[in-house]
Amino acid sequence: MSQSAPRLSMRGIVKEFGPVRALDRAELEVAPREIHGLLGGNGAGKTTLMNVLYGLYRADAGTIAIDGAEVVIASPKDAIDAGVGMVHQSFLQIDSYTVTENIVLGTKLPGPAWRLDLSDPREQVAELSSRFGLHVDPEAIVEDLPVGVRQRVEILKALYRGVGTLILDEPTTNLTPGEVDELFRSMRTMVDEGLSVILITHKIRETMAACDRMTVMRDGRRIATVRREETDAEALAAIMVGRDIDEGVPEAAVIATGVVEDLENVADVVESAEPLRPDPVDSGAVRIEDLRVRNDHGVEAVRGLSLSMSRGEILGVAGVAGNGQVEFAEAVAGVRQPESGRVSIRGTDLVGRPTREWLAAKVAYVPEDRDGDGVLPTMTVAENLVLGSQRSADIRRGGLIDWKAARQKAAEAIATYSIRANGPNALAGDLSGGNIQRVILARAFAHEPSLLILHNPTRGLDLRSTQFVYEQVHAATAAGCSVLLLSEDLDELVALSDRLVTIYNGEFVGEWARGAVDQVAVGQSMAGVGVER
Amino acid sequence: MNEIAEFVALVLPAMVPFVLAAQGTVLSGRAGVFNVSQEGLMVLGAAVGFLVSYSVGSNAVGVFVAAAVAGLFGLILGVMTTNWRLDQFIVGLALYFAALGLASLLYRVAVGTTLEPPLIPTLESYPIPLLSKIPYLGEMFFDHDLLVYTAFVLSGLLFWFMYRTNAGLRFRACGENPRSADSLGVNVARTRIVASVLGASLVGVAGAYLPMVYTGTFTEGMVAGRGWLVIALAFLGGWRPQYILAGAAFFAGMEVLALRAQVAGIGIPHQFVLMLPYIATLVVMMFAFRWARQPRFLGQNYDRESRLAG
Repeated sequence: MSQSAPRLSMRGIVKEFGPVRALDRAELEVAPREIHGLLGGNGAGKTTLMNVLYGLYRADAGTIAIDGAEVVIASPKDAIDAGVGMVHQSFLQIDSYTVTENIVLGTKLPGPAWRLDLSDPREQVAELSSRFGLHVDPEAIVEDLPVGVRQRVEILKALYRGVGTLILDEPTTNLTPGEVDELFRSMRTMVDEGLSVILITHKIRETMAACDRMTVMRDGRRIATVRREETDAEALAAIMVGRDIDEGVPEAAVIATGVVEDLENVADVVESAEPLRPDPVDSGAVRIEDLRVRNDHGVEAVRGLSLSMSRGEILGVAGVAGNGQVEFAEAVAGVRQPESGRVSIRGTDLVGRPTREWLAAKVAYVPEDRDGDGVLPTMTVAENLVLGSQRSADIRRGGLIDWKAARQKAAEAIATYSIRANGPNALAGDLSGGNIQRVILARAFAHEPSLLILHNPTRGLDLRSTQFVYEQVHAATAAGCSVLLLSEDLDELVALSDRLVTIYNGEFVGEWARGAVDQVAVGQSMAGVGVER
Repeated sequence: MNEIAEFVALVLPAMVPFVLAAQGTVLSGRAGVFNVSQEGLMVLGAAVGFLVSYSVGSNAVGVFVAAAVAGLFGLILGVMTTNWRLDQFIVGLALYFAALGLASLLYRVAVGTTLEPPLIPTLESYPIPLLSKIPYLGEMFFDHDLLVYTAFVLSGLLFWFMYRTNAGLRFRACGENPRSADSLGVNVARTRIVASVLGASLVGVAGAYLPMVYTGTFTEGMVAGRGWLVIALAFLGGWRPQYILAGAAFFAGMEVLALRAQVAGIGIPHQFVLMLPYIATLVVMMFAFRWARQPRFLGQNYDRESRLAG
């Protein structure tokens, strides 16, 4: 790649969290002036490796060299001194500080120690901001800024410190397509100015668009480092998912290995994973009549929705976020009290009944906000799995919860659902996003649901986890469960749904049968084209 | 006019324990350490301050030793919560009881039970030249003991440090978002420990002030809940030194008023007047959301390798 020493070289990095080996002799080499993609699924160790580089985690073994010289990085301060900057997935900002205050925090400033003078730094920030195309008002209070701008602040923080290597951890997750293009342009400018940029991602398309080289990680190890010109999306996907089947890999992954045509296309993933399942029977397994629900601000968000679902049917609900999906899902799940209307499952009317009866009717809900609504982050995996089944006879003894049995069940779920956790006693909040979703699914399926409500179930998940979710959904429908799938991913909806409806402004505005979906028409319908007012 | 001047002149010294202890609480709190042992530390400060000045014969030495002893408690709090990540509230509560017990023990051992309790001289007043000669204003503001002036100057310095220096920017970051501060090379643990020590020292001085200004004696009940009030005061003042002064004036005003009500025997029970500061705090917490903001990570320990916080 180049004659000079690599900008960064990490060798034999090992990091263990209790019995889990998150990094197993991981390697990474980044050349000067390149954008290097760090690719891998959830839990592959990408972020862990970068946290080691940034001094947030202390490696158990391994060496790091920057520009050919070995360095010891025991804290973020060491990393900054070594010219390494990192933009985390969740921004590390002081909400109540201004942009400039956030950027200069922790640096030495000109002028006397007893007087804070931010006029020079402010100019510097403005200068950096225009040079790299990272537009931001240096005087704005950070908590008032939208996500895209806060990310620019985070990048400027690193640039202000004159970093030579900039790590970006999944930077595109919350950006609009336009913002992603801008970000990639800024990254190119940085490289032109002599920086090296490491882009952590699980999106193959992104690395192909932005990176010069990419390193693929799996199970805490480097699998391959390839140049963009010498590879393509299919090859990368194959490496990422792993053709070899090692122990502990769920069946979903086995199926996924066969999928290499176009892994960005969810539809193909599903097609290949679809098992035989019975035709939907028993229309009316789930009946919703004229449901009206108010949102948190008292505004009617769901305005008279009615539908009927059969056993084993998947009903997809397409819509732009904020058109009543959350309120609808919560009302049907029994979490939110509707204004009026009926929800009945297999003949039982449930509106107004206590939660216990909803559970008895076997309604399971996988909410959109995994961390906030899905799990209790400060409780253990076992405790999270028990929630909702605390009255189940399997784990009760003499009126109390039999924790031994509960932990036993949790351990089984951890194995069945391939949850990467330090056993049943690991804290849910310490798991990665994909693993949290597995915990939620494990809990939902433990109820053998007759109605499963999924809201954006695969958002932010890697391919293998996505595949896994689809597998589980099909397994549930095969057992007669009706599935209400609310998603913003149209490919996912088209691929999974037996029937697709669009929701706009709290009302259903279109319906398509499986195989007859016109994506353009669905898109227009979601946008409210043809709907009055 | 004369009565007002007299009232203000009484309120200022009454403010001192509130100001010192509350600024100490703010100092620790803005770095993220929520000390709840103020009541105990004030009693201990009072006992130590009294005993040392009694045996050495110098109030100044008494004040410094009280600061050092309370600072030691702050060190324990700091180390236990930052290095060992023990729950701040539990540790604080334990320190409260420990300090309370230690104060009685020290006094019993040194003095024992006597019919004639030992006395120390109360603090002399240092009228400020020229300023104290201004009619009314001089009597109100410029004819007090040194700790009164100190409390005010200290509040100003604390404000300046927190909002007008680069070090203050780093300091506040430890309480607002320690993960962010850490990621930028700020030593969160050290900052928090230092803040905890200095904050506790101020609380100790606040306690030592009590025997030195009012009675010249030490009694176990002399702090009389001021330590708990101080926690309310920190919230009331939105954890900002400038508003702490205003809040302290209000609390001290109520205290003086209650005392007068008791002496003058007016219709309102003095216990009711003593309740007012608490009610005011509740009202402020209920209605003034913007005002009543507090450090976001107040009382929360920081663990670099945990994914839970921050």
